[in-house]
Amino acid sequence: MFNNLMHTSCLHIISCVADHSMTTSKTGSLLTTHVLNTADGVPGARMALSLHRLDPQMALWNLVSKGTTDEDGQCSDLISRDEFTAGMYKLRFETRQYWESLCQSSFYPYIEIVFTITDLDQTFHLPLLLSRYSYSTYKGI
Amino acid sequence: MYRFWKQFCTVKQMSIRLQHIKDHILAANQCAEMSSPPYSPLTTHVLNTGRGIPAASMVISLHLRNHTAASWTLLRTGATNDDGRCPGLITREAFVPGVYKMRFETGRYWEALGETCFYPYVEIVFTITDAAQKFHVPLLLSRFSYSTYRGS
Repeated sequence: MFNNLMHTSCLHIISCVADHSMTTSKTGSLLTTHVLNTADGVPGARMALSLHRLDPQMALWNLVSKGTTDEDGQCSDLISRDEFTAGMYKLRFETRQYWESLCQSSFYPYIEIVFTITDLDQTFHLPLLLSRYSYSTYKGI
Repeated sequence: MYRFWKQFCTVKQMSIRLQHIKDHILAANQCAEMSSPPYSPLTTHVLNTGRGIPAASMVISLHLRNHTAASWTLLRTGATNDDGRCPGLITREAFVPGVYKMRFETGRYWEALGETCFYPYVEIVFTITDAAQKFHVPLLLSRFSYSTYRGS
C-alpha cells in the first residue's frame, strides 16, 4: 500500500512539473524587461514599450509586440517560443510619455535598445534603469 | 686676448642656449595649436568599461531629426580619438533646438578587438531645448551593458 502511495505521489509530482514546464515554454518569458525609475527609487510602472525585429532583407523593423510595464515595472511575455528566432531586435521605451505622466520633462524622448540574439536556448532579461537625465541597461537572464 | 676669447665663447654659448630655449617654446606653441580641439557645444566620451580604457577608434555619427519628414539628417560622422573623444561634433551656429541622435558603431568596435557585442550599435536620442548650454553625452560600454547620462 505504501509503495502504491509513493508511486502515485511521484506520478503526481512529475505531472505537476511537466505542466509547469509546458506552461513556461508556451507563454515565453524568454525575453523580459524591468524598468526602474532611479530618480525616485520606484519601479517605472505603466511605461509603454514595444519589441521589434529587424527584417535584414527589407532593412525594416517589424513590430513583434506591444506592452506596458506593470506596477512593479516589469513586462514579460513579449515574445513566444515560436516567434523567437535569431536576429536583431529592438526594445523601445516611451520615456517621454512616462515622465509627462509624472508632470516632468525628460532628456530622452524615447529609448531604443538594439541587441542581437544568436543563442535561442537562453533567456534574456533587459532591464532599464532610468532617470530624467541618464539611463543604463545590461544583459541579464 | 684670452680674456676676450673666453667672454666671446660665453656669449656664444648663451646665444646658442637662448636659441634652443626659443625653439623649444615655439615647438610647444605649435603643439598646443595642433592639439586644441575645435569648440563644440555637444561632446561625447566613450569608455570601454569592460577593459577600463577609453574606447578609441569607434565610429560615431550625429543626426538631427527632421520634423516635417520624420526622418534624420546626418550632421557629422567621426571616430573617437585615443582618449575616446570626438572633438568638433557640431559648431555653435549649427547647434539648434531639436531632437538629436548620436549613433555609436559598437558592434564594429568590439569586432576590431576580436570580440562580439550584444549591442550591434547604440543610438542615444535626446532633446535639446536650450542650445545655449553645453551638453556632454558620454557612453560607458561593455560587451553586455551600457550607460549614458547628460553632463555639461
